[in-house]
Amino acid sequence: MTPIALTLSINGERHDVLTEPHRTLLDVLRADLGLTGTKENCLEAECGVCTVLLDGRAVNACILLAAECDGREVLTIEGLGRDGRAHALQRAFAEHGAVQCGYCIPAMILSAKAYLDEHAEPTEAEVREALAGTLCRCTGYQKIVDAVLAAARELAPRR
Amino acid sequence: MTFHYHEPGSVAEAVELGARFGGDGRFLAGGTDLIVQMRRGKLRPRHVISLRRVPGLDAIAESGAVTLGALVSHRAIECHRAFQGRLRGLVEAAQVVGGHQIRNVGTVGGNIANASPAADVVPVLLALDATVTWVGASGARTLPLEKLLLESGQTAERPRELLTSIAFPALGELSATAFLKAGRRKAMEISIVCVAARLALDPERRRCVQVRIALGAVAPTTWRSRAAEAALEGRAPTPEALAEAGRLAAAECRPISDVRASARYRRLLVESLVPRALSRCLARIQEASS
Repeated sequence: MTPIALTLSINGERHDVLTEPHRTLLDVLRADLGLTGTKENCLEAECGVCTVLLDGRAVNACILLAAECDGREVLTIEGLGRDGRAHALQRAFAEHGAVQCGYCIPAMILSAKAYLDEHAEPTEAEVREALAGTLCRCTGYQKIVDAVLAAARELAPRR
Repeated sequence: MTFHYHEPGSVAEAVELGARFGGDGRFLAGGTDLIVQMRRGKLRPRHVISLRRVPGLDAIAESGAVTLGALVSHRAIECHRAFQGRLRGLVEAAQVVGGHQIRNVGTVGGNIANASPAADVVPVLLALDATVTWVGASGARTLPLEKLLLESGQTAERPRELLTSIAFPALGELSATAFLKAGRRKAMEISIVCVAARLALDPERRRCVQVRIALGAVAPTTWRSRAAEAALEGRAPTPEALAEAGRLAAAECRPISDVRASARYRRLLVESLVPRALSRCLARIQEASS
């Protein structure tokens, strides 16, 4: 198949990538760019651990062709902290012990970020709904939800 | 999964590619169904024709009729202001599709073209008497959505033609829609049963008119229960009349037993969800006119 040349903006940095049409954003992130914070599991958009933000919205990188991301902004967990400082969501997850095995956490945090960017003061039910597209295989949802609510409280006054 | 990838810049160019590749080609909208099926080896197109650079396909237009471009996402339907009132059924269906990740990319055109018998948005569109426009090399054709849903997983979809838009008439004063879905959890769930209803009241507000009852996951396609609709048409919206519509829909549907539920349970759900969806329509009509 003819390779295609793509320009992706990943975590604010421009990447020129030569790849094949069938490769997904997840393939490119993990294998080509070494950004393994984005996890790979079901490859059918069921589990959500591959969640990244595309132009600010949560998407499943496992079923998104890299070609479809040409010219667009991708944010992965590696790009969330600024200047060596963890994002409020990352700090809240650590403080609340929300991380068990850790596999789903990048996706949980990015899903939460997309939601909080549009909903500054969510209820617990809304947070649960916002995270519903990502499965925690440890079933440790309560502390994840607590962490997101705490981060929302911290972030809200700055909006 | 290997293929050639194309990004046409207009409907005409997309249609030209579709006609050239025929059965070897597939149009790519959100990809939430197509890419999964390709990865499973169920579909093996040699050419994937992405629609992302075709302008205008993601627009929602309201001018008498409501027109949804094929690439309108579930999220766009969920957030559309004008759909929050009497067209709320459309929002209720869009917001239970997958999780946010799916709704951000999955499209209404894809929901139709994929033709799952358990599609959530499609029953609401059926209840709205929607029509679908396809463009092929010989021009555009508009067909009732119902006609397209011939068989499960197989719309009258011809790979050579491009689904460009879905349209339905604007709702009148005394009418409303509602949608209900039964599943084991609220997100990331294929419906066990879903029900869409549309109802209008006559100007005296005594009788039901334009009754539409469409169901998902209880037949080989999403489908309208003509028996239930006919029984309620022209009658007063009493609890008994709504319950009878539920019983008739349950009798007329053709559910299967599978890993998600037994046929018997599906019928029981239809019997209870149909009157509930109809009551929601009535409540919405009251709300909108009070």
